[in-house]
Amino acid sequence: MKPRTRDVRAFEREEKREVWRRRGRIALRVVACAWLACVALDGAGCSAPSKILPRPIAFFTQVAVLFPRAAHATIDYRAEAWICSKQTWVEMDTRPYFPIDPDDKENRFNRAMHFFRENRATMHALDRYIVRNHDDHPGPDGIDPGERIGGVRLMSLRIPIPKVGSSFERYERYPLSHYPDAERKAFYHTPESTRERRCAFQIEEHD
Amino acid sequence: MTFGARIARWLETPVPLARLALVRIVLPLVVLGFMSARLAHASHWIGDAGFRVPDLGDHWAQPLYVPALPAWAAWTVAVAMIASGLLTSVGLKTRASALVFAATLVFCALSDRLAAFSVSKLSPTLILAVAAGPAERVLSVDAWLHKRRTGKKWKSERPCGSIRFLQLVPLTIYMASGIAKARADWLHEPLVLYSQIHGSYQTWIAYSLARAIPSWLWTTLQGTVLVFESTAPITFAIRKTRPYALVFGLGMHAMIALMFGPVVWFSLLMMTVLAAGWMPDRFFALMTPAARDRRGDLSDTTPRRGPARRSRRATSP
Repeated sequence: MKPRTRDVRAFEREEKREVWRRRGRIALRVVACAWLACVALDGAGCSAPSKILPRPIAFFTQVAVLFPRAAHATIDYRAEAWICSKQTWVEMDTRPYFPIDPDDKENRFNRAMHFFRENRATMHALDRYIVRNHDDHPGPDGIDPGERIGGVRLMSLRIPIPKVGSSFERYERYPLSHYPDAERKAFYHTPESTRERRCAFQIEEHD
Repeated sequence: MTFGARIARWLETPVPLARLALVRIVLPLVVLGFMSARLAHASHWIGDAGFRVPDLGDHWAQPLYVPALPAWAAWTVAVAMIASGLLTSVGLKTRASALVFAATLVFCALSDRLAAFSVSKLSPTLILAVAAGPAERVLSVDAWLHKRRTGKKWKSERPCGSIRFLQLVPLTIYMASGIAKARADWLHEPLVLYSQIHGSYQTWIAYSLARAIPSWLWTTLQGTVLVFESTAPITFAIRKTRPYALVFGLGMHAMIALMFGPVVWFSLLMMTVLAAGWMPDRFFALMTPAARDRRGDLSDTTPRRGPARRSRRATSP
């Protein structure tokens, strides 16, 4: 066995570290190039990255496709609540129950409707969440806190985009009654049986 | 010289670390600004007080189901995000704090798809680039402590893969965005840009411009943006067109910030990366006086051919 001085061992350790550093740098470069390639391919409409990569990783590469299509209407999402005592639908302001960015379309209610309006499981969960929040911790949602609600009707508003050069008002949130029926499209309403059950349960509970 | 050799030389050319420092200082603040509305309601955002999308299995809009956190854990994540973001910005325990910051950003982006936007998806990658590079070497508390401890300053220039990556990020995004736009409506719908400035994002400036600008000008602007984005890798690569491309890019993001209220954070993020990557070296020499004193003026990071280009005038991209 060769005799080894402390300096030689230290030199060898440093050399090994340098080898690992170099490998680390190469690995980082490969990851960086792969990320850039995935971003470019996603923009080019190639679905390979999202097929190859695990979805949580592919998610972080989908950053480039912004505003690719012309908007044909301004979309807003609204809710109506089923008032148990009056047996009627009344507009409900969901913003107290979705306090993040309440006044624009980055609001979580709008986003839930934007992504999941066709998904029944999510719509049912949204229905339960809104009803429970109004009944348990009523906020300033436009409905008397004493009124119980049995369900919700969730819809989109498709507000036409004004023609270029025409005179129009700046965007503002108006009550539902401001918009004609043709501009509303309902995506979900609580099934009647569920509304009846909830309202009956609440009345029994109060009794 | 082969293409591979050019790339290798480009990667090995020393660059002012102040470029990375600029991203390290500004980006966490921009990201925290974007997150501030969410952080203020952490229990609604990633906690169990707010609405949660149920586990949908393989729904395209839910990359991963993450259950809601109890309120105390949600607030802990929020505090960790703020603290690590601020520590990254001032450059204290830079690498560790940047890694923690990136981890909190990844968690929050996956935990709540509803409040995740381009900034949420892009920022973890950019912060990881900061963590991977020597971002603490200039303009940081770490650099100050190092100087106090050893009496020596770290070099303010060296080859840096992180900076090269940050230079390529906006160009890749622009090019991909340009291709996506051209494949969708931007080549055959003349008023895509105009159609986007209505709705809840609309600011007073957007409203005023929507009423004042004639349709042909909207179409011209739309075409200009499309050309800029699609050709960004070329216009930024060519030294002569680079300053114009940089000014156009910064101007475009400034206009987006002014016209689309909540998109201001995305614009600031892109402007930070664009400025850090492509501003002339002279600007960064002002940020690190030692480098300026040593070399008089920093040369451009792009390799040059011939002695004529070594003149001070020629070095400014």
